[in-house]
Amino acid sequence: MTTSTVDVKTPEQAPPPAPAPGRRRRFAVHFAHYKWLYLLLLPGVVYFAVFRYAPMYGVSIAFKDYVPFLGVNASPWVGFQHFQDFFSNPDFGRLLGNTLILAFLNLGIAFPLTIVLALLLNEVRLSILKRTVQTLVYIPHFLSWTIVASLSFLLFALDFGPLFLFINSVLGTDIDFLSDPAWFRPLIVLQEIWKNTGWGTIIFLAALATVDQDQYEAAIIDGAGRFRRVWHITLPGIRSTIIVMLILAIGQMLNTGFEQIYLMTNALNRDVADVFDTYVYFVGITQGAYSYSTAVGLFKSLVGIVLIFGTNALAKRFNQSGLF
Amino acid sequence: MTRRKLSLAAAVVTAAALTLTACSGGEAPAADSSKISVMAPFLEAQPPSADGAVQKKLEELTGKDVNITWTPNASYEDKMNITLASSEIPQVMVVQSKSPGFVKNAEAGAFWDLTDKLDEYPNLKTTFPDVEKNASVNGKVYGVFRARNPIRAAVMFRQDWLDKLGLKAPETTEDLYNVARAFTEQDPDGNGQNDTWGITIPKWGALGSNSPYDIIEEWYGAGNRWTEKDGKLIPSFETEEFLEANRFVKKMVDEKLINPDFATFDGTKWNEPFFNGKGGIIVDVDSRVSVLINLFKQANPNDFQNKVGFVGNLKGPDGVLHSHPTDGYSGFLAVPKTSVRTEAELKNVLEFLNTMNGKDVATLLNNGIEGVNFTVEDGKAATIKPETPEGKAVTTDIKSYAQLGTNVTGNNFYPVKQASDYEQEVFDKRVEVMAEDLKSAVYNPAAAFVSPTYVAKGAQLDNIVADARIKYLAGQIDEQGLKDAIKLWKTSGGDKVQEEINKLWQDSK
Repeated sequence: MTTSTVDVKTPEQAPPPAPAPGRRRRFAVHFAHYKWLYLLLLPGVVYFAVFRYAPMYGVSIAFKDYVPFLGVNASPWVGFQHFQDFFSNPDFGRLLGNTLILAFLNLGIAFPLTIVLALLLNEVRLSILKRTVQTLVYIPHFLSWTIVASLSFLLFALDFGPLFLFINSVLGTDIDFLSDPAWFRPLIVLQEIWKNTGWGTIIFLAALATVDQDQYEAAIIDGAGRFRRVWHITLPGIRSTIIVMLILAIGQMLNTGFEQIYLMTNALNRDVADVFDTYVYFVGITQGAYSYSTAVGLFKSLVGIVLIFGTNALAKRFNQSGLF
Repeated sequence: MTRRKLSLAAAVVTAAALTLTACSGGEAPAADSSKISVMAPFLEAQPPSADGAVQKKLEELTGKDVNITWTPNASYEDKMNITLASSEIPQVMVVQSKSPGFVKNAEAGAFWDLTDKLDEYPNLKTTFPDVEKNASVNGKVYGVFRARNPIRAAVMFRQDWLDKLGLKAPETTEDLYNVARAFTEQDPDGNGQNDTWGITIPKWGALGSNSPYDIIEEWYGAGNRWTEKDGKLIPSFETEEFLEANRFVKKMVDEKLINPDFATFDGTKWNEPFFNGKGGIIVDVDSRVSVLINLFKQANPNDFQNKVGFVGNLKGPDGVLHSHPTDGYSGFLAVPKTSVRTEAELKNVLEFLNTMNGKDVATLLNNGIEGVNFTVEDGKAATIKPETPEGKAVTTDIKSYAQLGTNVTGNNFYPVKQASDYEQEVFDKRVEVMAEDLKSAVYNPAAAFVSPTYVAKGAQLDNIVADARIKYLAGQIDEQGLKDAIKLWKTSGGDKVQEEINKLWQDSK
């Protein structure tokens, strides 16, 4: 039995027959060996080349004064002019502030809540209840931001929204949630929690399933209560998942969600609502300042890359497994 | 098996390579004078079909093979810029406004300068030279403008409420206040509850967008976007009248005569409170009168008369009527240089546009086909009843084809005959009121001028003041805050815009 297995594998694993193991030759053999895997890889490579890398050529308009009629090639180069304009623009501080505040609120509130919800779900022993709750908290994820925004408009509408009336009767004061700048951020975070927390638990629940059950039994014998078990067994068990998810979340941090914020913005809360994404749309699409808004978008992407590498390095430094 | 997989992979790679090279394109073929390509927006759910009756008739009347690329209105501006960067450029392009994108392209030489060329064509030599100037970029005419009635501002109100409360139609802004107050406080719908407000204003804040705020400011004498003071042009929000007008609107907001959610209320639902008996007044274009009447007609075909009343512009506190006009055009038809290369080709295109604005084609584009969807009754186009499916298709199609109508020599088509005597009466009154208001129209003196600074960051600058206006009305900031915002507009680049506009204005004299 054992010998026959070796026999079968031999022709493939045999060292290169020719004596000259040049680099190219080694690759040729390697390639011949794994040709089907490379073929499987091909569609992915082509996809990324065509739809992800080729369009990057267009990023060059951030350094040009792009006029559609002249095209990307013929438009004159202006160097870092657009970046300078952006950094010296009074809008810059406000945009950066708004973007970062919203990003940290989402990261600081919505992200931990996902873990808390996953832990809570994990503690539910009644299988049917667990599944029902899980399904119910997933559903909002499938609604578009347009619907979430419309729902908010209906619920919080001045003078007739049910939630507006309820809060009004409890507190005795009128709160205009939709246009009061002080309520913009809480509203955005609430929407984010409502829409995405349930969906975010999926990956943590999967991680929780891998935690060694024997440890719980041992802990119970040692007299550990429910919170002790969560603190000393469950959380360390999913630590690496949490860190990977955190790094990914930080990379996406500046993508504050164009649709959601655009839909919730109005003249009264614009000061706290304007973020990089909505600004790029406003300046780029509605005003035709393509170069300028590309520069803004590029800056945002650079910050995103720096954040990803930074957190990854930090995670490694503290002896945690990073993303790469 | 293997071979098949390989050939599949090869196909994928080839397709990818083709996609990459497709953008680089080739030389455009020499123009064929019997063919004309046009790019235009459509506002209906569906674009007209390429072999529809209107299309056939259009080709027959113009003697050309007309190829129209219909593009959804919502993404028209983006699509236009993309088209200009591509190799497939139409010979005639509808340009919807003097947007920064268009101005940049035009100044880079994307379009023919038609300033001295249109006079040779009887149907293109405009009878509204002022509007042509408004549509120009600093006097350079880059297209044949699409004429619109300049006076469109009207005050619409619930006639039944007005009658019930025994009030008169408003004539001054003070009357407007009194009617709005009565509509709010005197239970005009008679349900015994305090559940109505006077005026409905939607989320519509941009400066110079013919919003209710702009209209009321103009009535107060603030001017139309720009106004002349001491021999200089200043933005209308720098006038005392602007502040007065906004104090007036704020008073109505504070007294709850205006819908409390005016900063967030969706403009597409504007008719609803009016129709449902929540808000009794709308300040907008007069064509909304017909839309409102139709709503009541659909709900009850037997009792829809005398629900909607309207008047034109209102006199301000100074007792003078300052009517609010638009700039008189809605974009223009421009001729790109990339697809029309020589003067001879341009001549061919302009001749085509000349035919388009002649009586025959103008009638086709705006009324449809006589005998199919309309008949002429005492000089008016009346819809054929019973309507045939063919006639209905034509009626739908012409709503898109009307986008190609320029009417620079006035309307060369039939006015539409309204469905009932009552509606005809209202329509005739609309025409009359608008004609009367035209005499006191206060135009935007800077409409023709495009300042470079404004092209670069005008919309951002205007937002400062527009937002401050709404914040002031909502009580978030006081009048000093509004004045500070105007100061901020000036210091962040507005002063430069003003300087450039004044220079252009002086040079044009």
